[in-house]
Amino acid sequence: MRFGASFVFSMCFGIGILGAQNKQILYDFYEIPQSLMINPGVKTTEKWHAGIPALSGFYLQAGSSGVTVNDLFANDGIDFTTKIRERVIDGMRKRDDFSFNNKIEVFNGGFRNPNRPDDYYSFGMYEELDVIVYWPRDLAILAFEGNGGDNIGRSFDLGDLSLRGEMVSVFHFGINRKLNNTLTVGARAKIYSGIFQFQSIGNRGTFTTTLGQDNIYRTSLDVDMQLQTAGVDEITDVLEEDSSSITNLLRRRILFGGNLGLGLDAGFTYKLTPQTTITGSILDMGFIYNSKDILNYKVSGSATNEGLTVFLPEDINDLDNDLWQDLVDEIEEAIPYEENESGYISFRPVKLYGSIRYDYGQAESTYNRDCGCAVTGEEGKNNDMYRNSVGGQLFMMKRPRGIQAALTGFYQKRLGRTLALKTTYTVDKYSLSNIGLGLNLQAGPVNFYIMGDNLLAYRNVADSHYASLQFGFNIISWNDN
Amino acid sequence: MVVLFTYSCAEEQDFNQVDDLNVTPTVASSLFYLESTEEFINLATATPIFYSHTFNFDPFSEQFVADNLLEGALLYEIENTTSKPLTFSIEYLDEGGNVLDVEVFDVEPEPAPLLTLRVAYGPGGKNLDILRNTSSLRVTAQNLGDNSSTSAASEPKVILRSAAEFRFELL
Repeated sequence: MRFGASFVFSMCFGIGILGAQNKQILYDFYEIPQSLMINPGVKTTEKWHAGIPALSGFYLQAGSSGVTVNDLFANDGIDFTTKIRERVIDGMRKRDDFSFNNKIEVFNGGFRNPNRPDDYYSFGMYEELDVIVYWPRDLAILAFEGNGGDNIGRSFDLGDLSLRGEMVSVFHFGINRKLNNTLTVGARAKIYSGIFQFQSIGNRGTFTTTLGQDNIYRTSLDVDMQLQTAGVDEITDVLEEDSSSITNLLRRRILFGGNLGLGLDAGFTYKLTPQTTITGSILDMGFIYNSKDILNYKVSGSATNEGLTVFLPEDINDLDNDLWQDLVDEIEEAIPYEENESGYISFRPVKLYGSIRYDYGQAESTYNRDCGCAVTGEEGKNNDMYRNSVGGQLFMMKRPRGIQAALTGFYQKRLGRTLALKTTYTVDKYSLSNIGLGLNLQAGPVNFYIMGDNLLAYRNVADSHYASLQFGFNIISWNDN
Repeated sequence: MVVLFTYSCAEEQDFNQVDDLNVTPTVASSLFYLESTEEFINLATATPIFYSHTFNFDPFSEQFVADNLLEGALLYEIENTTSKPLTFSIEYLDEGGNVLDVEVFDVEPEPAPLLTLRVAYGPGGKNLDILRNTSSLRVTAQNLGDNSSTSAASEPKVILRSAAEFRFELL
């Protein structure tokens, strides 16, 4: 089977994440304008840039920290239920997650302030879909095996249910300023327009069946769980009633008609020595206040029961025929379920990057103008541009169950102004063999970039734990033309 | 990069295997607990039946059970520390009050061993429709001895415990 079908299935299967939106190849790849999006303080060299609308930045990522498509669907003659039991139910941990991230730039542009050439302004709009579902291990075991048999005495952790997803439209404006020859800083303000959001986080509780104190079994439920949704209910209704009007609904929400929020990115680039540079950035420090089209579900309380009980002589006069319904009512009263429309705040997943880079090799001398940017003023030579760079990067991202981190080593090669290549080797708790490759091609003013990682897995994509792809087209100018 | 995407491969996959997935959890729960002191049994002099009660019992007839129950078992335990031989009967009744099945337990007086019984339903056992059609239970307890004797055991009593273990087919 070719790449396509497996990759699409991987997307649908919701494959977990390796590196969690880690754009390690794009990071500090400053020949590409989109590197500004993950470090507003990255070194900028262009006079202006304009992304090709809808094609300037496309990013798609999926991966599995647990099983692969091949683990389950290989035509290997093993019973499918056995594979599910051994590789999913027994094999996956509660920290394993399924996730999907997709980002499409609608437009993106930037220009250097003619009166203050150390400032570079960038702006744009993009759509982002981000979903993460942690593997609800105990709930899966409960569904697969039940509470009986060997599970008598086992306490199922209901807190294993943790998921979060959202689709947002983001409008942004950023300022990148070269403060001096060693330090460049930047910041980006964002307005979020939420298209939909859902989250079920911070759940807790247990479900336990033990040998009873009076009767044969005692069942105990202690639960505090909720699912918050914003924008989902109306979309569902529209799809059920008149799917043709979904476009109008989405258009309205994309253009500030959704739940609104604010965010901030910040970053810097600092030259320790002429050839050694450190960078850092923090992204999506922001929130969305969800107040429209809210529907929340909540269940909270605790109850213990050992079935219907009759104690004689105490209950001899209790002639109620609805003992079972009374028991059900009692449990429902102890563990009430409610739906409400209360607004809530959802936080964007904060991401943090850091890097150190060492440049070496013959300095480029192809810039023949001083564009007033990061290129030095020395006519005819750009001392900042070296043919080679090596370094390391750190990525961290806040997720519902804590910080996900990744460490990357990279090597970058520049072949004139036309071609730049960057290869990365990334390790995290899920993989020790993630090799990525990025290419930036500059054909006159036309810029094209494409990046992918976990390349070793392309020998058998279905057995891959992870795949990501990003590419885009820009027009870049370094002079007044 | 483009070459990689174009020529990447994957082993043959069979996504139709999803149809072979069987998820059959076993659900366990207590059902009914009856406890009576010997003193109370001795007070019931008008009739040997010291307890009889019919009550609605819908969990077996829920649509989910009807649709997904593969097999099951009902567990019974009777512990008697009274001085009397006793009989318990549990009748399974449908919506019209008709008896679908009945379990009768004869219990020896103290010192009686713990009486346990596991009744299977489904393949190799009783008909699952008994459970599926059960709408109410009638529990009757009868004293087959006298109304004056007292067991030497401390706090003499009789206890009927019951539970269900059902295996469902979710997928």
